[in-house]
Amino acid sequence: MKIKHVVLAMAFGAFFASCENDDNGGELLPLGAYENGILVVNEGPFQNGSGTISFLSEDLETNEAEIYNKVNNKDLGNIIQSVGFEDDMAYVVANISNKIEVINRNTFESEATIDTGLSNPRYFVAVNGKGYVTNWGDTSDETDDFIAVINLATNTVESTIPVALGPEAIVAKGNTIYVAHKGAFGTNSIVSVIDAASEDVTKTLEVGKRPNSLVLDANDNLWVLASGGSSWPVPEDESAGVLSEINTSTNEVVTTINFNGVEHPNFLNIDGDNLYYNLGKDVYTLKTTEDTLPTSSYLTHTATSLYGMDVYNGKLYTADAIDFASNGTLTIYDLNTKAIDKTFTVGLNPNGVYFNE
Amino acid sequence: MKRIVVIFLFIIGSNLSFSQQDSILKLDEVVVSDSRLLEFSNGIKITTITDSTLQRVPGGLTNALLFNSSVYFKENGYGMVSSPSFRGTGASQTAVIWNGINVNSQLNGQTDFNTILPQSFDKISVRSGGGSTQYGTGAVGGSIHLENSLDFAKPWTSVLNLGYGSFDTKNFNYKSKYGTDITALSVGLGHISSENDYKYLGTDKKNENGAFNNTAIDLGFGLLFSRTNLLKLQHSTFIGDRDFSGTLTAPSNSNYKNYNSKSLLEWVNYKKNKVQRTKLAYLYERNKYFANKNSDRFTTSNAKTILFNYDLKYSINNMLLNGLVDYNNVRGEGTSIVAVTRNVVATTFLFSHTVSNNFSYGVNLRKDWVTDYSSPFVYALDGKYKLTKNYAVTLNTSKNFRIPTFNDLYWETGGNKDLKPETSHQVEFGQIFNKKGVKAELYSYYTTNKDLIQWRPSSVSGVWSPINVKSVYQYGVESSITLHKKIKENPIVGTITYAYTKAIDKESGNQLMYVPFHKATGSLVYHYGKYKIGLQTLYNGLVFTTTDESQEVADYFIGNVTLEYDVINFFNTDVAIALSVNNILNTNYQNMAFRPMPNRNFKLQLNFKF
Repeated sequence: MKIKHVVLAMAFGAFFASCENDDNGGELLPLGAYENGILVVNEGPFQNGSGTISFLSEDLETNEAEIYNKVNNKDLGNIIQSVGFEDDMAYVVANISNKIEVINRNTFESEATIDTGLSNPRYFVAVNGKGYVTNWGDTSDETDDFIAVINLATNTVESTIPVALGPEAIVAKGNTIYVAHKGAFGTNSIVSVIDAASEDVTKTLEVGKRPNSLVLDANDNLWVLASGGSSWPVPEDESAGVLSEINTSTNEVVTTINFNGVEHPNFLNIDGDNLYYNLGKDVYTLKTTEDTLPTSSYLTHTATSLYGMDVYNGKLYTADAIDFASNGTLTIYDLNTKAIDKTFTVGLNPNGVYFNE
Repeated sequence: MKRIVVIFLFIIGSNLSFSQQDSILKLDEVVVSDSRLLEFSNGIKITTITDSTLQRVPGGLTNALLFNSSVYFKENGYGMVSSPSFRGTGASQTAVIWNGINVNSQLNGQTDFNTILPQSFDKISVRSGGGSTQYGTGAVGGSIHLENSLDFAKPWTSVLNLGYGSFDTKNFNYKSKYGTDITALSVGLGHISSENDYKYLGTDKKNENGAFNNTAIDLGFGLLFSRTNLLKLQHSTFIGDRDFSGTLTAPSNSNYKNYNSKSLLEWVNYKKNKVQRTKLAYLYERNKYFANKNSDRFTTSNAKTILFNYDLKYSINNMLLNGLVDYNNVRGEGTSIVAVTRNVVATTFLFSHTVSNNFSYGVNLRKDWVTDYSSPFVYALDGKYKLTKNYAVTLNTSKNFRIPTFNDLYWETGGNKDLKPETSHQVEFGQIFNKKGVKAELYSYYTTNKDLIQWRPSSVSGVWSPINVKSVYQYGVESSITLHKKIKENPIVGTITYAYTKAIDKESGNQLMYVPFHKATGSLVYHYGKYKIGLQTLYNGLVFTTTDESQEVADYFIGNVTLEYDVINFFNTDVAIALSVNNILNTNYQNMAFRPMPNRNFKLQLNFKF
């Protein structure tokens, strides 16, 4: 679901910059105050407020709130859904504000605002200098959903790709884009395959109902976690989640693993060849080589209202929105020892973390 | 006035055992729509706002109470959805009583105070605290009573107000009353519309998508068809069409249309020391919400209520006994509510005893039977004791009980049929000082609330659902000083109110969201010849916008000034012109976070009385 982006170019850029400055004794110049650390996205309250981003230093010693507001002296936007990255830029998607803030990820200075051509924007991925953003459109219209294509040089929406209901998570493999259609306020159960060059939907693949997260593994297989059918509007339609594996060479579903009863899993993550997901209060794990679900939980988290979950470099990050009306917390677990490293108070409704390094 | 008294003495008959007090009581029965409110509130704080004040209120009912009571309002932007909060409770814990019947929405259990035009009514009373058993069990915080009176034997009188102001705000208000010895008729028509596109001070933005257009029609008819029988018919329709404004960070293009109609037929029969009332009412509410006003897609819900009420009141010596039986049939349905019906049968017993000139007390008991709920027995006790000629104390205690609303129970998806009702206990102590045109009141209260209902997303499915989340307690004081004086021959009336409210979540120890610790109002009206100057001020204290007290909306002070001049009187028509400056200090303030309120604005009004 989240794009873990290690910015090598950034390091190279800094290296060349440092070559120009002999007084620096060969040390890398800092790129900005937020160059190394964890960005925590706090969605914020619905309408009456602004989402924020908290910054945790790499050594987890400092916790700085509202860094965008602090640097730019203005509010970030309403309901910060997600962040995508390309080079030094962070593309912060503000769902209710209908905009994307383009921010330098190291300095957190605002570079541009994209506020036309978006309608209920959700997630961002960059491919070949263009940004692709899933949009729900008007939620009462099930036929106006689209992918906005952004020219990242001009920061304008230059075209749109009409897609089926409720496009949500989006990832890219080479020039191919995969979109999970969770279904917005309704239900959908497909993954769209889009050719970034021609901007055409080349195929749709049937997965489980309400696919909520996508991850690519080291063998270029795409894993799709669907939470399963909702009990509304028809109680009999409630169904268990499904984990699907898509071969990105053939674009076929090669593995389908069904959950039991009416289990609704979410937050699929990958670390090495281990997949992780959440079910209720428990985090489960399985290998990408396995095709059966684990029977026992890997660890039980302490979140009251788990609102975001990420796994990165052997650590598990759980974002807890608690009562959705107070500052949330971020808890970091060591996946080897299963012990809690540290818990931080972050902003209102934290929904995910991203890594600067 | 004298003439009416004479007529009613005549109607009531010549029973010599009737004391003077009794006949006045009967007069109230006829003229006032809801005489029980005062009769069974010995030790209860009641504040009234009269017709002359209501006629001059800019905008909706919110504005009438904002500057004239200790009730705090949470307004979703000027003219938008407005929820009252009494003593730290919420909108669902505030009952709105129209001519004696509870008219809160059957769907969400609340009344939006910007969907009522204050000019429609002759009097509005604010009853603080719980224990309003005769109007239902759920008004933990208090109740607001909207009353229309019937004026028999009065010549034809009318008022017409025409106003125009900033943001293209237009209002029109017409009210006419006529009464013969046996009939009374009243007609009201009110309208207000505004572009409401005020500037957000300190920004380059303005209030987008905030236009509203509201219309109200009110009718009243009374017929004394025999010496001892009165028939009353009252009707009220409200038609609202509002665009719902956005916030500093969230644009909006939504629209909300609502239609409310209330009709009440009442038959009153008087005998010696016995009054019987039979009421039949039909209430209809319907709303349509357009998430995108440029689209024709909307969500909707409606509820129809049939209400039957029989009420028998006896007076024996200094005692009043009143028994009531209520039957309510409510049918609700909508986009997200499957058609459901709720039947409520309630029995209420009220007792009031004036022991002496100095001491009176009352006992109110109620038991409800509800289709989908078991409701306990609730009570309220109150008393008033005059210690000296100028000083009185009051005491009251009550148990209240709020059953979940249709939305709480049946909303799809998320409605929770396992919800427990909210239960509240409270106690209040009051002191009243009255001397030579000065009235000072001080009330202190303590309230506990158990099993408060709040909507939360499920940690498993993410679906929002109401649950019984917390227990809270509230305590505080409400005080007021009113002054009636004359400077030479010119009357001056001043009122100051102050409320201190602590509303604490038992678990966290934190103040509840959107409950100000402090609220104060001050108003002054001074007549000087043909001139009248009015001043209204409001101090609203800081509120927290999160449950952990981590974010807040700052406190603010605002003031309005009105200058009125009696221009002329010709052919029995009084013409007055009034200029109002609202938010005269041009305060940049927010009532709810990220929703700036209007900057300084002007209004010119022409008032005709004939």
